[in-house]
Amino acid sequence: MFEVAIVMITAMVVLLIAYLTAISSRDLIRLLISLEMMFGAVFLALIPVFSIPEMTNTAFGVLVITIFTSSSELLVLIASIVLLNRMTRDISTDVVSSGGDVL
Amino acid sequence: MDNVSLILLALGSVTILSSLGVLLSRDNFYSALYMALTMIFIATMFTVFNIQSAFILIAFIFIGAVGIVTVALAAVFRYVPRKVPVDKLWIIPTILTIAVLAYTLYKYATFNLSAASSVDIAAFQSQYALAVVFLICLMVLLMISIVKMVRREEVCLK
Repeated sequence: MFEVAIVMITAMVVLLIAYLTAISSRDLIRLLISLEMMFGAVFLALIPVFSIPEMTNTAFGVLVITIFTSSSELLVLIASIVLLNRMTRDISTDVVSSGGDVL
Repeated sequence: MDNVSLILLALGSVTILSSLGVLLSRDNFYSALYMALTMIFIATMFTVFNIQSAFILIAFIFIGAVGIVTVALAAVFRYVPRKVPVDKLWIIPTILTIAVLAYTLYKYATFNLSAASSVDIAAFQSQYALAVVFLICLMVLLMISIVKMVRREEVCLK
């Protein structure tokens, strides 16, 4: 009866922990880890869609697209981290000088 | 509470505990390991609903490729970051998000989540052939972009 509640609460808690990790991160590796956890929470939120028989193939399509695009995005971030380290010898978020607001 | 709910409860608990390990661990290497563990538990939750294809996709692509590269990267750049205080104002959006999610759960918690019917791979391939082609193109384009970025950066360093 409460399967949806268990799945969604787990997704919600994992998402909030990922947000907290991202907020408190000072280096890009931890930011990458928190992003992967956010995508994990998104995957969990897709589970209820699979239980509708007419939506099973659609849900699988959404899952495949999500996995591929998120993996591509994360691989680009990994390449950026390696490039940033080669240029600055540092991977802390303080050395990222472009993008975002000036605090 | 039936067996499925108990298994889900146990899996959800260990998922939350391992994700807490990511937050509380100060070493990036252990954080990456806890993250891989969290993703494995998340993928396992799909198998409870008879969606083994999703488990294989998440385990092979997300954990096997991206997760392991992250663990390797964290092992290479291993250092303990300093503790960062979190701004108290973040409590407001957090409470708002929890309120919205809690209302949604209250509204839909009694929805009967039955075991999913198995995914028809042949039908999926015919329905989503264009999407699969676009995804392959996306990955090839991203790889070419990364190679160009690396080459440009090498020229700049020279």
